[in-house]
Amino acid sequence: MVQVTVDPLTRIEGHYRINTEVNEEGVITDAQSNGLQLRGFERLLQHQDPRDASLLSQRICGVCPVSHGIAAANALDDLFGVAGEVPIDGLLMRNVHQALNFIASHAAHIYLLWGPDLANPAYRDILAKYGDVGNAVWKELQGRFAPLIYQLDGTSYPAGSSYLGSIVEFRRLHEAISLIASKMPHPVLQHVGGVVYSPTVADIGQILSYITKTMEFVEAFTLGVSPDIWIENTYRASSPQKAANFVLNHLQELLNKSLDNKDFSHSAGWGDVPLFAAFGSELIGEKLLGLPISMKMDLAGTYKDPGKIGFLSYGVFFKPENGNGYDPTSPADSRVISSGYMNGYFKLEKFDYKKISESINHSFYIDDVKDRPPWNGVTVPEGNPENIDYTKGSKSRYSWTKAPHYDGIPCEVGPLARMIIMGEPLVTGLVKTFQDNGYYPVNNYTRMIARMQEILVVVPELTKWLTQDIQAGGKVAVHTDLSMAKSSTGMGLWEAPRGALGHWVATGPDSMVTLYQAVVPSTWNLAPRNSQEIPSPVEQALIGTKISAAENALGVDYSNPLGILHTARSYDPCLACAVHTIDKTGKHPDYIIKVL
Amino acid sequence: MGGSRTDNDDLLEKFKNLDFMKMDRRTFIKAVGVLGASLFLQTYKNDLAKALEFSETKVVWLHGVMDSGCTISMLDGGSPDIIEFLQEYNLKLLYHEVLMMQQGIFVDGKLANTSDLNSEIVLDDILEKEKGYVLVSEGAISNGPEGSGKYLMLGGRTYKEIYAKAAKNALAIVAIGNCATNGGVNSAKSDIVELMDPRGVAFTMEDASKGILDLLGIEKPVINLTGCPTHPDWVFLTIGAVVLGKIKIPDDLPYVLDHWKRPKVFFPPDHVIHDNCSRRGYYDRGEFELTVGGPKCLWKLGCKGPYTHADCATRNWNGHLNYCPQAGSPCIGCVQPGFPDSTRPFFVEFEKTGIVGTNITTIAGVAIGGALLAAGAHAVRRTAMKRPEDEGGLAEESTPEEIEEETGGEK
Repeated sequence: MVQVTVDPLTRIEGHYRINTEVNEEGVITDAQSNGLQLRGFERLLQHQDPRDASLLSQRICGVCPVSHGIAAANALDDLFGVAGEVPIDGLLMRNVHQALNFIASHAAHIYLLWGPDLANPAYRDILAKYGDVGNAVWKELQGRFAPLIYQLDGTSYPAGSSYLGSIVEFRRLHEAISLIASKMPHPVLQHVGGVVYSPTVADIGQILSYITKTMEFVEAFTLGVSPDIWIENTYRASSPQKAANFVLNHLQELLNKSLDNKDFSHSAGWGDVPLFAAFGSELIGEKLLGLPISMKMDLAGTYKDPGKIGFLSYGVFFKPENGNGYDPTSPADSRVISSGYMNGYFKLEKFDYKKISESINHSFYIDDVKDRPPWNGVTVPEGNPENIDYTKGSKSRYSWTKAPHYDGIPCEVGPLARMIIMGEPLVTGLVKTFQDNGYYPVNNYTRMIARMQEILVVVPELTKWLTQDIQAGGKVAVHTDLSMAKSSTGMGLWEAPRGALGHWVATGPDSMVTLYQAVVPSTWNLAPRNSQEIPSPVEQALIGTKISAAENALGVDYSNPLGILHTARSYDPCLACAVHTIDKTGKHPDYIIKVL
Repeated sequence: MGGSRTDNDDLLEKFKNLDFMKMDRRTFIKAVGVLGASLFLQTYKNDLAKALEFSETKVVWLHGVMDSGCTISMLDGGSPDIIEFLQEYNLKLLYHEVLMMQQGIFVDGKLANTSDLNSEIVLDDILEKEKGYVLVSEGAISNGPEGSGKYLMLGGRTYKEIYAKAAKNALAIVAIGNCATNGGVNSAKSDIVELMDPRGVAFTMEDASKGILDLLGIEKPVINLTGCPTHPDWVFLTIGAVVLGKIKIPDDLPYVLDHWKRPKVFFPPDHVIHDNCSRRGYYDRGEFELTVGGPKCLWKLGCKGPYTHADCATRNWNGHLNYCPQAGSPCIGCVQPGFPDSTRPFFVEFEKTGIVGTNITTIAGVAIGGALLAAGAHAVRRTAMKRPEDEGGLAEESTPEEIEEETGGEK
């Protein structure tokens, strides 16, 4: 048994460690997911004016501040009792703000954080087995996805073309956000009762122009085909089977053209997604398209016991047809990307927020009660330095992250969960294709395809809100004053780019915050074990995964643990979000927020 | 730079005709302030190439307790962007956790593979062998619990220990964002902040005795670039000035930095956001918003623009497009050293609150501002905003006339 540890896992947000036990066959047999830092965020909101939360809670995360801002504003709307009155243009501004952040955040993950692992030298050697075709594909991978600091055999190489191009688009999308929200990160748009800025016709035109430019990058680099054609045949396809077939046929055509001349360049139509889609999966690449070799990412990052995993979405983007206001407790009926819970066998259930709970058995917190719902959260951080030790294995306490679960089951949250819950045709079609061929459909390959596809799902909705729904200069907020928050409670459920995000807030008779709690996506995905000793999604996804590239295609190499890297990064970890603490002093240990 | 647009226009013409190589430090600082990053680089592109015929400067970028917001803000920099920044100034970025291929890899507890893939080998090499690099610090340094630093550990050691080694061999430390400069939101008042004990590099909140360098007994020149996040121009141009020798370390620092160790050109002691606010006309006419969503002055909604020293209203953010009050939000003073305690509650007028952590001179300044406000006086900035350089005993900023003298003489 070999112990392979990745510490720190870089190219994520925050600080994170993974420890694994690996057997002689190179299969991971045990894993612990360790959040490495304590920030104490929610406590600084306590005893303070609740209205500050929509701006301050954004400082939890520099990558998705918008999501925290909106989740907090949703909670404050509820707290102040105005959720039912927020003007439709305020809700649409939240949609636009969040959609731009979704696209930028996904682009950053795909290209800056996850993508560089495709330029790992292991793939040079694996692809070389496929002769000139393989070498040509490796050249593309390295030339597109190498990060800013990248060396091979001691020689530095320049950053990849897609990597560099994505920085420009990331910046462009943040400029679009800044037009209506002042700046990124940490914009100032969100406020209780709505938003603080009503857009002008010029703002709307300018944002549309930015989106058009970004879609030019998507066409030239990401997809290699017109996004309109892609969306028409996938997101707008009449059935999941048709959507999956469109992609398979497209890949087959590309391969037919390129196998002879070995041209896998962008200009030959090999967008980044087709290149990954064809060579990333054993099922798609080898079995369905007839390639002799692939990166086999569909075999890694899967769940082996469907009875111990679920998929969760709170729902995101208000539906304009619902008009003013929203119901904070039933997001299922009011969101464009719907809420829902799906079990490990892909059976869909209606989401019920009362089933959410967090346990601390394996976290560095002290509490007599090992499992609490968020509206009764208590967290006392371990204060004795000698008791802070990450290295004692799965039975010990080993993370600053708590372990949330839904009805006792750990849940994966994020783009793949959202896409299968909403029934997006391409992702649903892929899920079915994998199931029909004996594969577990949730894996590193489908997780990345879903993230890419979600960009394309959001763009047409965003365009519609801007061109048809939003009223330039419209009323964007209802008036509130602090006294409306006296002795009240509020809940804000929303989706960050990386998954389900909930804020809970309570106030006392002076309207000041008595309790604030955020349960964030990376707490779901990257938790330690829960109170029933069930490993978290990332731990389950690692156990059974092979340690080195493409299912140990070159033999077992513990020192280049690509299996860990791909799987852990596929969740788009955001650890600054995931570590939080509530009540050290015990001043309000039994405070219970009664959510309607 | 208290100058109006017209003064700036004149200066801009003047700077364009200057010989970069002969430009002294103060003129250089003025030039980047007035021209802005993009125009500055364009104007002096050829001269820069000549000036850079010396060996590359190494940069080590460390992340402590933070949300990566400043890294994101640097990726949003457009003039120059992060790639141009590294190229134009001939910088070699040795370590940056978000932008590097490598990660820490241990097999049975021992470092594995090579520096091509293992970030801990890269880091060890830096900590043991490198000297004279610019250390860019993002994020606070955990000192808790009980001084152990165990609230942030990386690669099996505390960040505090890594930071101490990295700081010792640095040429200078450029702290970016409020987490690094002053502890930031991590150090905000709460029931557990003493237990966590997060530290800024040279200050914790407004306390200069609580910087981590003091605690570690390390003396290093520190340049603070506050903001939550900080502005990419502030970072890139400051590092550029250091690398080009336009700010000599440490001799020039007392002249170019304010008493929070911030470059005065970006955080002008005699100038606040309110001075150039796009809503200023409403303020002068006494027209105020009482609820969000409208075009008028945001003073009564708690705007901290009149007390916040930064060039946000002229520089703007994200492609120089916008800044907070223009986008409808009161300024929340995120560049202020005591942020957020010194500027919250965000949506309450200053004089109506007993602001935690705000020093008495700030309150006095506010009172004066408030009195003048009642008269709708335009002169508020001249009266209320003279404080910092007076009490700090630091050198005055050059006036446009002085610049004229300095640059005209080509010393």
